[in-house]
Amino acid sequence: MASVVRAAMKAIKEKGLRNFFRELKEEGYLRCLPDGNLLQTKIHNIGATLVGVDKFGNKYYERLEDTQFGRHRWVEYGDKGCYNASQVPPEWHGWLHFITDHTGDELLMLKPKRYGVEHRENFSGEGDEYIYHSKGHSLNPGQKDWTRYQPWQPTKA
Amino acid sequence: MLSKVARNAGKHLAGFRQILRQPFQVNLQARSFSTALNYHLDSPDNKPDMPWDFTDANKERVKELLSHYPSNYKQSAVIPLLDLAQQQHGGWIPVSAMNTIAKIIEVAPIRVYEVATFYSMFNRMKVGKYHLQVCGTTPCMIRGSREIEEALLKHLGVKRNEVTKDGLFSVGEMECMGSCVNAPMIAVADYSKGSEGYTYNYYEDLTPKRVIEIVEMLRRGEIPPVGTQNPDRIRSGPQGGNTTLLREPKPPPCRDLDAC
Amino acid sequence: MGLGLRAIQRSKTLFSSRLFPPPFSNSRVSPLPNSRVFSLENVQSASINAPLRCFHSRASLQNPEASAAAVSEEIPRPRTPVGGARVEFTSPEDAIEVTVDGFQVKIPKGFTVLQACEVAGVDIPRFCYHSRLSIAGNCRMCLVEVEKSPKPVASCAMPALPGMKIKTNTPVAKKAREGVMEFLLMNHPLDCPICDQGGECDLQDQSMAFGSDRGRFIDTKRSVVDKNLGPLVKTVMTRCIQCTRCVRFASEVAGVQDLGMLGRGSGEEIGTYVENLMTSELSGNVIDICPVGALTSKPFAFKARNWEMKGTESIDVTDAVGSNIRIDSRGPEVMRILPRLNEDVNEEWISDKTRFCYDGLKRQRLNDPMIRGPDGRFKPVTWRDTLAIVAEVIHQVNPEEIVGIAGLLSDAESMMAMKDLLNKLGSDNIWCEGDGLHPQADLRSGYLLNTSIAGLEKADAILLVGTQPRFEAPMVNARIRKAVRSSQAKVGYIGPPTDFNYDINHLGTGPSTLLRIAEGRHPFCGTLLSAKRPALIAGAGLFDRNDQNALLSALHTIRDLGRLVKPEWNGFNLLLLNAAQAAGLDLGLIPRPNSIHNLSSAKLVYLLGADDSKLLDKIPNDAFVVYQGHHGDKSVYRANVIFPSAAFSEKEGTYENTEGRAQRTAPAVPTVGDARDDWKILRALSEVAGVRLPYDSALALRARIRGVAPGLLRVDEREEASVISGAFSPDFCRKLGSEDFGKAVENFYMTDSITRASKIMAQCSSTLLKQK
Repeated sequence: MASVVRAAMKAIKEKGLRNFFRELKEEGYLRCLPDGNLLQTKIHNIGATLVGVDKFGNKYYERLEDTQFGRHRWVEYGDKGCYNASQVPPEWHGWLHFITDHTGDELLMLKPKRYGVEHRENFSGEGDEYIYHSKGHSLNPGQKDWTRYQPWQPTKA
Repeated sequence: MLSKVARNAGKHLAGFRQILRQPFQVNLQARSFSTALNYHLDSPDNKPDMPWDFTDANKERVKELLSHYPSNYKQSAVIPLLDLAQQQHGGWIPVSAMNTIAKIIEVAPIRVYEVATFYSMFNRMKVGKYHLQVCGTTPCMIRGSREIEEALLKHLGVKRNEVTKDGLFSVGEMECMGSCVNAPMIAVADYSKGSEGYTYNYYEDLTPKRVIEIVEMLRRGEIPPVGTQNPDRIRSGPQGGNTTLLREPKPPPCRDLDAC
Repeated sequence: MGLGLRAIQRSKTLFSSRLFPPPFSNSRVSPLPNSRVFSLENVQSASINAPLRCFHSRASLQNPEASAAAVSEEIPRPRTPVGGARVEFTSPEDAIEVTVDGFQVKIPKGFTVLQACEVAGVDIPRFCYHSRLSIAGNCRMCLVEVEKSPKPVASCAMPALPGMKIKTNTPVAKKAREGVMEFLLMNHPLDCPICDQGGECDLQDQSMAFGSDRGRFIDTKRSVVDKNLGPLVKTVMTRCIQCTRCVRFASEVAGVQDLGMLGRGSGEEIGTYVENLMTSELSGNVIDICPVGALTSKPFAFKARNWEMKGTESIDVTDAVGSNIRIDSRGPEVMRILPRLNEDVNEEWISDKTRFCYDGLKRQRLNDPMIRGPDGRFKPVTWRDTLAIVAEVIHQVNPEEIVGIAGLLSDAESMMAMKDLLNKLGSDNIWCEGDGLHPQADLRSGYLLNTSIAGLEKADAILLVGTQPRFEAPMVNARIRKAVRSSQAKVGYIGPPTDFNYDINHLGTGPSTLLRIAEGRHPFCGTLLSAKRPALIAGAGLFDRNDQNALLSALHTIRDLGRLVKPEWNGFNLLLLNAAQAAGLDLGLIPRPNSIHNLSSAKLVYLLGADDSKLLDKIPNDAFVVYQGHHGDKSVYRANVIFPSAAFSEKEGTYENTEGRAQRTAPAVPTVGDARDDWKILRALSEVAGVRLPYDSALALRARIRGVAPGLLRVDEREEASVISGAFSPDFCRKLGSEDFGKAVENFYMTDSITRASKIMAQCSSTLLKQK
């Protein structure tokens, strides 16, 4: 604990109080207070190696010693406020899930330039245009205009 | 300008094809099956509604064959009857012949089809005068029966179970015929002297070159020597003469029964 | 609160841990080697001291032989047999005792190892074995270990021997099954997401238990050409695992030798060899018995998944057998119909008509009450108006001029309500369609299948008179076929030439042959007399003939002459055609002698779903016709008022099958549109017409039925008819007509308003009947 305080004091001395707080905010340390997940990630990060940072600002960490196998790679999301797993781009997915040992930066080379589309996180359930309503759903603009059975038509008589 | 682009594209395409071919050739190679099609396809000489019956001489034979079995187990005669039909019909059995047999032994036609499709020596499609049956079982396959078959098919210009245009040859696959020691081998069903006096001739220790020579000899009407085609071997003996059993073997040790 | 509790618990833990000192302290010195010594306290304290997880070891765990001995000494608790497997001992000395997984079971001689395991409550995985088919033993999935046997044993084909020690959960058995599963999956496509069997597939289920997540097979998988088996069965033959259940079903139960096993080795496939549709009226059952998705339902293909559907146990009404079915529905739609096990009625098969008629429930439905206007057009109106109009007409006509006819599909409740209503109005002209005009309904044994459907299996000589059971009641036909196959029963048949799927002796086509048998001048009499359990089955088509009284007395003479009725055996049967018939006759919906005259002078005809064109022709032009039913079929074009009612899948109704077994349908889906239950419509009409029926609920209505036919309330029980012989005078000779017997069912696939509305049934009749 003492070492953390000492390091903080040193940083304040170097950068000034204002810059220190700005950095604290940007790095998400303030979000740690309400968000235990982030706090845990930050604690995890101590002593781990930073393997790479993607263009969304997600940081990929690895720690091989003193960690349970299968938990030795993790990500700290760039978006500190609202993060989910779909923010990890495909090139890093394999590394993060132990599918491959190639890091995302290496795999990015293989990405086809011509038709490879930009990664986008999954927006399901966020906003009307992303929600699918089946035909006949009460929120679907089209009205239900069919029956499950075919009635007998008296006009044929 | 355009032609240049086209030439470039062609070069690349050839390259791509080269790349693609190599791994795919392994994966897409068809699995070979020993039997022919397991369902009937109508052809001009093979339709279910064609009339077919045993000849009068063979009808006597049918009666004789049926007498081998109890009258309530007539269906036991299905294999002899199929064989008889095959001999009568030039080495193969049309579907109408199977229907006739089903009527004779009083079972549903499907029960006869089941038997006929099971045994690979019953040909359900037209065969040539010489039906070349390549052994495809493991020992022969290891010793290169696939290459033998490939050479045959390429030489004759047919696919498996197809007859050449002159009606002389057809190639099929067979299961083990017990000549594993002389693998690879083919059996030639020789219908040249009429399908009733047909013989199965074994040609063993084949090479792709030798098998084509045999085919050519057959085409000329010669009879190639049956058995091993390796001049250094006598029947199934080792190459270059015996290495063991060089003298008359000793009789097995036997108790002298008279002594006691 | 939660915090407080936890605090108390924690203090308790502390307290108890102080009472029972923990065996090893929190320091890392673990006294594991000694832990055996104080195992009991150890376990206790460990369970109390939750945060401190310790490995405790028992003596038995360290000594495999000792533990094995301890296990065998244990007395295993008796287990319940799988799927309610029944064990019947013909004689006590036939029982043998085997041990299954250390548990002793008594089984009859001749049981297989697999059956013994089932009795012991162990479910053996299987693909090719089916209890109703012959044993093939070719899937090898049922391998078990038998003590003193060098190899695993295929339990389905191995007879159980006395003292056999069977082990089903040993590593040997498990490994054997895993090997079999790997071989099966070698050529089986992994296309479960697009396979219709997905979710109810035996292979899928068993690969959960015995399958590996990968195989060692690297070659390409086999592919097989799909076969065309007709409009009902869809084939994806690449998925086939060659269990040959379908081949055995087709040749043994359905009696059509179309399917076979072609080829050999890995090229083996199921097929017909030549282009051949499966022309069986039971072909749909191969869908159920196929353990994989090779044979699936064509009409149901890609419609729904089995876990999306709600199953409702119900009764089939398309014929008089009353097959037990499960109606699978999703929301307001019937998605499919499956058989339900009932050993006494349909075993586990149903006919194609039963299985595939369901799309008729969605087409041509009557959903609004309608009145024919002066211009001859129907227009939808409210219930209030329609009921008022019908009530007014009722008051305008004479009671004798009212005629009520119940249809083929009417349930007992609605027939009772209609009879009560018409009787209250003063009319007794009420009968059930299909009974002809003079049914012999005085004796219950005169119109029922007295032998019972299951009993027909035991018959050894059967005389069929004017009936084609294959088309009238396929499930009864399957029983007769079973009798012919198992005990070589002799079957004689009098009637027009028709298809049978077993050997019959075609005795003649008309009543003259019947006469010769009745007079004892026919060789078949000897067969009947020498038989231990002879049976006679007459078709309900005889009711329609003018000489039916003479025919019936001839049949009764044969009954007495051929000694069909013995103690414990009643071989005199009448095979009914329609689901409503037996209940209608029980409830007294019987035409009076002059009722045909009454119909031709009727002013008000009330059709309760009756669509018989022969009846429609007799209705006079000036009569007011009320049609109450669920389908716009033949009768609606003659009707003046339409009451829409619920179909059998939408209501709870009692039906009595041809053997006198009352069974009840259950509502699976809601009714369509404004339709109502039949008896409720009649009850409402009675109120409007001023003759209130005294029941307001189904329960009260059933209480009324109890007064008339109490057997109808004993659901799922067969109410046997009492036997009275010699009721007829033998004066048949003169009165017998010379007209040949006709076919009661012209088109098997279209017999009632539901099947006539069904597209699938139309397809079947156009393709399958043409091929025949």
